[in-house]
Amino acid sequence: MVQRFVRLILLSASLMLAACASRMTDPLAPMGMPPEDPLKGSAAETLWQQAVTAREHNQLSAAGRYLERALYMQPESSWLYRELAELRLREDDPQTAEVMAQRALRLAPKRPAYQAALWQLIATARARQGNEQGAARARLEAEMLMRRQ
Amino acid sequence: MAAGIRWRRLLWQLLLVGLVISLLGLAWLDARIRQRFDNHQWQLPARVYARPVELYSGREMTGQNLDQLLSLLRYRPDSAAREPGSYARFDGGVLLHTRGFRDSDGGEPAQLVRLRIDGPRIGKLTDGSGRPVPVARLEPLQIGSIHPGHSEDRVLVKLEEVPPLLVHMLMATEDRGFHEHHGISIRGLMRAVFANLRAGEMEQGGSTLTQQLVKNFWLTRERTLSRKLVEIPMALLLELHYSKAQILETYLNEVYLGQDGGRAIHGMGLGAQFYFGRPLAELEPHQFAMLIGLLKGPSYYDPRRHPERARQRRDIVLQAAASQGLLDEKVLSHFRNKALDVVPKGGSALYAFPHFIDLVRRQLARDYPPHILASEGLIIHSTLDVLAQLVAEQKLSDFLTPHKELNGAVIITAPDQGDVLALVGDKSPRSAGFNRALDAQRPIGSLAKPAVVLAALQQPAKFHLGSVVTDGPFEVRMEDGQVWQPKNFDNQSLGAMAVTDALAQSRNQAIARLGLDAGLGEVIRTFQKLGVQSRIPPYPSIFLGSLNLSPFETAVMYQTIATGGQRTPLRSITDVLDRHGQPLARYPVRPEQVIDPEPAYLLQWALRQAMTQGTGRYAVAQLPEKLVVAGKTGTSDGQRDAWFAGFSGSHLALVWLGRDDNGDTGFTGSSGPLRIWTSIMAALPQRPMRLAPPTGVELVWLDPDGERLSGKGCDGAREYPLMTASIPQQTSACGKVQSVPGGIRKWFKGLFD
Repeated sequence: MVQRFVRLILLSASLMLAACASRMTDPLAPMGMPPEDPLKGSAAETLWQQAVTAREHNQLSAAGRYLERALYMQPESSWLYRELAELRLREDDPQTAEVMAQRALRLAPKRPAYQAALWQLIATARARQGNEQGAARARLEAEMLMRRQ
Repeated sequence: MAAGIRWRRLLWQLLLVGLVISLLGLAWLDARIRQRFDNHQWQLPARVYARPVELYSGREMTGQNLDQLLSLLRYRPDSAAREPGSYARFDGGVLLHTRGFRDSDGGEPAQLVRLRIDGPRIGKLTDGSGRPVPVARLEPLQIGSIHPGHSEDRVLVKLEEVPPLLVHMLMATEDRGFHEHHGISIRGLMRAVFANLRAGEMEQGGSTLTQQLVKNFWLTRERTLSRKLVEIPMALLLELHYSKAQILETYLNEVYLGQDGGRAIHGMGLGAQFYFGRPLAELEPHQFAMLIGLLKGPSYYDPRRHPERARQRRDIVLQAAASQGLLDEKVLSHFRNKALDVVPKGGSALYAFPHFIDLVRRQLARDYPPHILASEGLIIHSTLDVLAQLVAEQKLSDFLTPHKELNGAVIITAPDQGDVLALVGDKSPRSAGFNRALDAQRPIGSLAKPAVVLAALQQPAKFHLGSVVTDGPFEVRMEDGQVWQPKNFDNQSLGAMAVTDALAQSRNQAIARLGLDAGLGEVIRTFQKLGVQSRIPPYPSIFLGSLNLSPFETAVMYQTIATGGQRTPLRSITDVLDRHGQPLARYPVRPEQVIDPEPAYLLQWALRQAMTQGTGRYAVAQLPEKLVVAGKTGTSDGQRDAWFAGFSGSHLALVWLGRDDNGDTGFTGSSGPLRIWTSIMAALPQRPMRLAPPTGVELVWLDPDGERLSGKGCDGAREYPLMTASIPQQTSACGKVQSVPGGIRKWFKGLFD
């Protein structure tokens, strides 16, 4: 217990220092598809674009269908899972959103900012499920990745 | 004189009363006609469609696959693919004119696509003018309709979609003065009598189309005088209120054209599908003639049961069309010489996959009451992959042909989506009998062992894949006094071995001991987490599969393993649309992380070892080297059931073999189902399973006893993936022990655990 307390103090202090030392990037800021994602340039990219358009018009069902079709064609795309996670959050289904974000993370390229954004998505999904501890852990993962930048 | 006046007055009174009664009767009939016609909702059963096939450059598809699809969808060759549902071959490719369809993403228009097949893939995909097309879809194959008990079925057609020739031929045969009369036709009646006398048989009916509609719509089929008396005023009233076009469209959708068990075939739209397997717009004149000919007696002129009689009737209709100038002599002769071209009843895709439709029906029943399914015309998009289904059927049948006493079941899923791609519940896949895939409850044998290992791996401080267990005899005294003594299949005991080997070699005694050490309750909870909903008996014999599950429920369990601990309910439906193609409901993928990714990954790794070094070696030897797969064999006591469940990155397949009399199959999981599984996986487009460990799992070298870190090349040392919590603190004297990353992560985790 004492050990955990000491660790928390140390962690808070180091995070504060890190925050002062460098300008933190907001992991929630919108970011693009990683260039190495297999979706890029593939036939499924068209379906993703159609999903984006459908989402902009608030046609969430259609957007979901486009994304599922795209995933069938490009199942190794981390970006498609990220998009599906975000869509499920919008549809108020944080449990599925979390799983989809975890899948996105498993397939993610080694880009700390992108991975951090995924952890942030997981944190949001967990928080919406009432899992505050899990959300804090996910946020911490995101912070650690951002510090690695 | 006075009597004469009295009689006349009485007569007038009677006439007046008669007139009043007639007027009242007419008013009543009028109300009845308008009420029914204005408020009529066609009864349309739900239709189930297979997954639409996506066409895009790079998709795995052989020329044979494409031919299979075109044949199932009944595309016809045409030199320029002018009409939807036709295709043309050109040098090294195919020009398709797709039919288009509605979907929850808006669907697909009918369009021309040109594709080339390069080896096992689609090479280039362009439109009719050569511009690249990123993705196109073939319309989905209708694989069934949901019509509980006796009900009407039809495919609604709009008048403007009906080929004009069909309408003209119909009038030439049934009612030449349709556009002139007002519901009844004295001239038509006389002409029909005359024509029939001349032909020596009933070539033309005396009733107008309007009268026929009245009969079908409002009256019984009995030929009584009272019905005739009502029919005429009703026909006149119908014509008074509604246009010829409305009457004709209703007629075309209402007519009765045959019977299919409890399903009555109504309307030209469904008639075309039922007899010729194509949409009405794609039929040829001789097929129009057959449909029109059937109006006179669908049973008597049934082209499947009475082809000769049907052909004569068809030719009479063709002749009637020619006599009206609709076909010239040359065309008439051409179509008279054509065969009936009726598709065999069993050959239609509507009846091809009864066991999959059974699954769809059960899943739909959770959300829709039977009367909605029978009447609302719902469009159901299912997950069935027709090509995968045909592969599963073929491979099961190939294996079972020499073994008449055996039967089997196959389920193929896409693990990430939880989609059921194929489901075979009988070695005769077209028979709608006992659905073994869903309803056979059988002991799962060694397919249970992964749950035991997983229960142990979820306790990383106590167990890991290198932990040593003893494969040796022991006994457990149960509460009821019975003694359980697990034995190995070969009646031998191999002594101390790693958990990985115990699973890979399917050692009963070692796994049973591991189960006891991990805890019976933990094992039961693990089964439940994996998705088993059936009651699990609280006895240690479940470690070795004394647990009755259906192949489907077992597939659910392996689905969770294949997805790295994400329980994904198996779905057979993706979307439900209303009769106009508007989306009603989506059935999205809804996985749930029920097992932590780390132990789930370790189990996958161990099941991979079962394929490379254990009971699944046959598959690895047969499949392409790059195709990484994992799986487990299972054999129940007395070889009454033989199983195999395994997965790649893209497919999970489960195969069960057994006998309906519960006798000895003569096969183990390795010698039977594994062979079928391998041939199925080899025939499907595949993606290897992912081998990269998740965060929190490290590859380490361990001593043979599994209790100390070792180095590569040290005597008996083996490399295992281990959860950080399982990594031993002690190191052996041999070799250079690698540094174990993850310490910092462990430190951070300590903040929250």
